[in-house]
Amino acid sequence: MLKPKWFYPSYKKDVGEWAWILHRLGGLALIFYLFLHIFVTNRLAAGPEAFNATMKALSTPVFKFLEWGLWGVILFHAFNGIRLVLVDFAGASKYQKLLFWIAFVLFLALWIPAAWKFFL
Amino acid sequence: MVGSKALVKRNKGALSWFLQRITALYLFVFLIAHFVIMHFTGSGEVTYQAVAPRLSSPLWKAGDLLFLIFALYHGLNGLWQVLEDYTKSRGLRLFFYSLILTMGIILLVVGTVTIFSVKV
Repeated sequence: MLKPKWFYPSYKKDVGEWAWILHRLGGLALIFYLFLHIFVTNRLAAGPEAFNATMKALSTPVFKFLEWGLWGVILFHAFNGIRLVLVDFAGASKYQKLLFWIAFVLFLALWIPAAWKFFL
Repeated sequence: MVGSKALVKRNKGALSWFLQRITALYLFVFLIAHFVIMHFTGSGEVTYQAVAPRLSSPLWKAGDLLFLIFALYHGLNGLWQVLEDYTKSRGLRLFFYSLILTMGIILLVVGTVTIFSVKV
């Protein structure tokens, strides 16, 4: 019987479990976004006027907020992904907790200050 | 028979595990650069006039094409891993696998059309 890992994570209860859950949720959000993104950017093929009109329609405060959120999801998934590559390829499993906190600090440090670019 | 089948499946899993990490490294660099260029450099406004000069260069086209292929592979492979974790029926897995493959082909075509719509 296959137990859903979501409810039965194979990790012991430490930050690695949270990293696993956030990495998975973030990944799902990103593939959903990529679907939309590929179709929206295809407006380039319709020419300058059509593309600029679409981009203008997608630059309301709500979309700006979502873009800032997207940047956060990207950063967390990216830095935690490097942590996973280091664990798998560089034998860093001994340091996985430390690496999680390094990834988490880098994510916050690049995400929070980026807000000014989207809201000002 | 059963043994060789299991072996093939194991090897296939190992390859997708490996490719997931290789594409991750390319995406780490290119996706972060992509987001920074689009949102943190220039006016922050996405227009055809801002995008076209880059996309008319053959080098950017090549980099973006690889970006598209790797992002789709990484995202859809990740989605497949998630779906495999929560489904055990053969029929349902086949359905999801076909859906992912179909979406992958459609998105690859749409994205490629976008990249080549901006003339050199």
